[in-house]
Amino acid sequence: MSNTSGSAATLVRTIINKYPDIESKPLDGNKVELVVPPAKIRDIVTMIDEEVSDALPESMFGVDLTEDKYELIYIFWSHQDKMLIQLRVSLEGETPEIETVSDIFPGLDWHERETHELYGINFKNHPDLRLLLLPDELEGKFPMRKSFVTDRSRMDETGLARPKPRPKPGGESS
Amino acid sequence: MQFDFSALIGGLLDWVIGALFWIWGFLTWPFLWEGPFDIFAWFGGLLDWILGALLWIWWIIKWWIIWILDILNGTWALVMIPENFMFLFRAIVFPGLIFVLLALIFTVWYTRKIWARLQDRRGPMHMGKYGGLQLFADAIKLMSKEIIIPDKAKRWMYRILPSLLLVIVMLPFAFIPWDPYWNILGSPTSPFPDLSVSLVLVFAILTAVPVLSLLIGWVSGSKYSLIGGFRAANNQFAAEIPMVISSVGPAMLAGSLSLYSIVLAQTNIWYIVLLPINFITFFVAAIASVGTFPFDAPVADSEIIFGWRTELSGIYFTVVYFAEFAEQMLYSALMVTLFLGGFNGLPFLAGIANFVIKWLVVFFLFIVVTSSFYRLRQDQVVNLCWKYLLPLSILNVVLVMFALVYIPGLVPLVIGG
Amino acid sequence: MSPDILDESSVIWFGPQHVSAHGWAAKLTIVGDYIVECDPNAGYFHRSAEKCLEFRNFRQGSMILERICMMEAFLAEYPYIAAVEKIVDLEIPERAKIMRTIMMEFNRIHSLQFWWGQFAGELGLFVMLLWPWVDREYSLDAFEELTGSRHTVSYATPGGVKYDFTPKFLAKMEKALTRVKDRMPVFEDMLSGSPTFRLRTEGVAHYTAKQALKWGLSGPNIKACGIPMDLRKDDPDPNLAYDMIDWEVPVINNEEHPGESDAFDRLLQRFKEIETSLDIIDKLLPLLPEGPIIDPKARSKANRLPEGEGYGRVEGTRGITTVWLKTMEKAQTPWRAKIRGPCFASYYALKHIVPGARFADFPAIFGSLDPYPGWWDR
Repeated sequence: MSNTSGSAATLVRTIINKYPDIESKPLDGNKVELVVPPAKIRDIVTMIDEEVSDALPESMFGVDLTEDKYELIYIFWSHQDKMLIQLRVSLEGETPEIETVSDIFPGLDWHERETHELYGINFKNHPDLRLLLLPDELEGKFPMRKSFVTDRSRMDETGLARPKPRPKPGGESS
Repeated sequence: MQFDFSALIGGLLDWVIGALFWIWGFLTWPFLWEGPFDIFAWFGGLLDWILGALLWIWWIIKWWIIWILDILNGTWALVMIPENFMFLFRAIVFPGLIFVLLALIFTVWYTRKIWARLQDRRGPMHMGKYGGLQLFADAIKLMSKEIIIPDKAKRWMYRILPSLLLVIVMLPFAFIPWDPYWNILGSPTSPFPDLSVSLVLVFAILTAVPVLSLLIGWVSGSKYSLIGGFRAANNQFAAEIPMVISSVGPAMLAGSLSLYSIVLAQTNIWYIVLLPINFITFFVAAIASVGTFPFDAPVADSEIIFGWRTELSGIYFTVVYFAEFAEQMLYSALMVTLFLGGFNGLPFLAGIANFVIKWLVVFFLFIVVTSSFYRLRQDQVVNLCWKYLLPLSILNVVLVMFALVYIPGLVPLVIGG
Repeated sequence: MSPDILDESSVIWFGPQHVSAHGWAAKLTIVGDYIVECDPNAGYFHRSAEKCLEFRNFRQGSMILERICMMEAFLAEYPYIAAVEKIVDLEIPERAKIMRTIMMEFNRIHSLQFWWGQFAGELGLFVMLLWPWVDREYSLDAFEELTGSRHTVSYATPGGVKYDFTPKFLAKMEKALTRVKDRMPVFEDMLSGSPTFRLRTEGVAHYTAKQALKWGLSGPNIKACGIPMDLRKDDPDPNLAYDMIDWEVPVINNEEHPGESDAFDRLLQRFKEIETSLDIIDKLLPLLPEGPIIDPKARSKANRLPEGEGYGRVEGTRGITTVWLKTMEKAQTPWRAKIRGPCFASYYALKHIVPGARFADFPAIFGSLDPYPGWWDR
């Protein structure tokens, strides 16, 4: 069980009472991390929405752990309780899938869009998964994955002109 | 030399008949001629024909040149009649076109300088003394820019309308009484007396401006321009009604619709003393009608880029930019005429000097007001003009009416001496 | 919104070449003078800062961050440093903590001065566009005196700060702050005291605190709703000096509509922000002790970091600015660095705030939210 203090501990207790398969990990201060299985994410976010009246969806992003393993981190902040809740979801597979939570917290809408285009994580039932930041030619390339190399070997894919070979130093003058 | 019509026809007939004979000969040679076809004889006919045509064309050219010389002679004779010469000199040089253009250039510099000082900047500094030549540099730069006409624009209208706008805005300057003597229409010695309705004519000519703004916005073929065009038309329709009604007050006091007579009637007292609220309504409506800063929703750069001027480029933009300043100048001049006594003032100064001093003061007020308020939304502009300015100006007309009838000493005071 | 209304609609792209859209584009569907749909588009400034950070070491990383938002460069670079300092154990000298905080508030004032001008310019008063920007020059001169750079200061580094305050800098800062203080009444008169300004902003871009929380708005945008949500107070970074002094969180609670805010409230809120920043600097300057400005072992310690995750958070001018950093064992570069810009949320919120507004109010709406494209494009 957790040894966090204050409101974070209360919240964690409430959540774990309802969903016993969730692990919790205290961070420093009134901060807590919950390790959530992918199938439960909507339940947990709904609970946070209900239990924490002023939950601010601060951030949401993916982490590429290589070998087709991904992590999603959701961060919520509550001003009233000075409490930070960090959800950690582990995903696996070539194109991992998870339910969207953008209808519960509209602020996470664009975070999910961004994670989708940068990591190739599919958010089921998301209303609008167009590209957010990337140009069209990078659709489906998922540039934030570690397998996306960024050196000159990919020059052809960009459609840009190849850099001209430099003239030899002291070359012949025309 | 008179144009000789029968000679022209005669030459034409000769030529046609010659050509017909020649063609007839060509068609009938196998039946009439003895021996083989003689190409040289045949070409001889052709040369005759070309020579005849050339002679005939030369005759036409000669007549045309002589005709033009005649017209020039006649015009020159008309111009050299002294009254005509003076009128033309006034219309073109002073205080007509060239004076107004120079004043326009000065005004742009003056505006930019005052704006800059108000905004804690220095304004143009490098071209000439205190940046006095900046506008010439700007004009040359703008004229030498590439003209980009959008694909969807209606090209002919796009090319014509900006110049038309400038012409229409410049026309009413002809009615402004700059000086007792040096003005275009209405000087005592001129064969062209002031029109008795010049005040109405000024506003009549200016009604074309909103139409042109809307048209320029429409023919540019851009949504921003179209929105700006509608806003400009809306703005000016809203503002010109209170402005025209505000100008009725001075006209009633002076008992005349002629600008020259209104100025003459202000020798005893300037009408701004009697009609301060009227001056303010006219002033605000004039700013709104020009569409400059607090009322610049038609060209609001943070919403619709540059409104109805968005797609104008190069010389067309320059012309429209000048037209806006010319309009501001015109309204300032009208305010001086209607409320500030026109050329009346310090007796030791020439009339036009008095006029120009007051004009610059009004223009300064114009600029200070334009840089002290946030841009109003279009609905708020119309709200201001129709809910506040219009009732105030109508009330003013009613008050002037009663005052003229019931206040005994007023009429001798306001009709001048 | 019935379908037959949409038959008369037209689509206008507000950007990316629009003079008022500084590198962003919103697709507006307009019926008459009203906007019925707003689709903000991002990506015109995208320079993949997060990917770039994966190739920079821990002392270089902050320099990428400050290029994201030039106006609050120091506030932008600090979360990264805070995240690094969460992972590695560094002793920050007291003097450096206070200097960081002073610089942070100074930068906040500069950013808000810029915003004043920008907002007034968007509402069409160019006098107010230029006046704060003239004052801003004094702040920039002070930055230049301290760090040699006018915008991208890169002042802090893991373990402390780079340059010590010089008397010349303190004099220049004094001059800049005095000027801000002196001109505050003028600006209040020109902005909140102006009747035309009230006409343009009151009742525009209205939202409630609950909506703002759901959209993820933070900073002045939510403080204007009456919620004193301020990380400087709620979750102060241990390496800053906000808890050393006593200060009040600036918050506006409009009595006419409690718990809600419009564009005018957000202006008042930002005035209060400047006053608070001035107050904090005034209180911190006498506390400045003598001593070192950087942990002597900072350079070697920040070279290779142990495995860990750090979450650096700071209250930026525009809201909560954070960097989430993950490092692997003996890392020279971060494994993953996530930047959370405050304007990511406020730009997204346009989608919900704008529909129903007049087209002419659009500049007032986005101006009052103070979006900066770098923060969402990164």
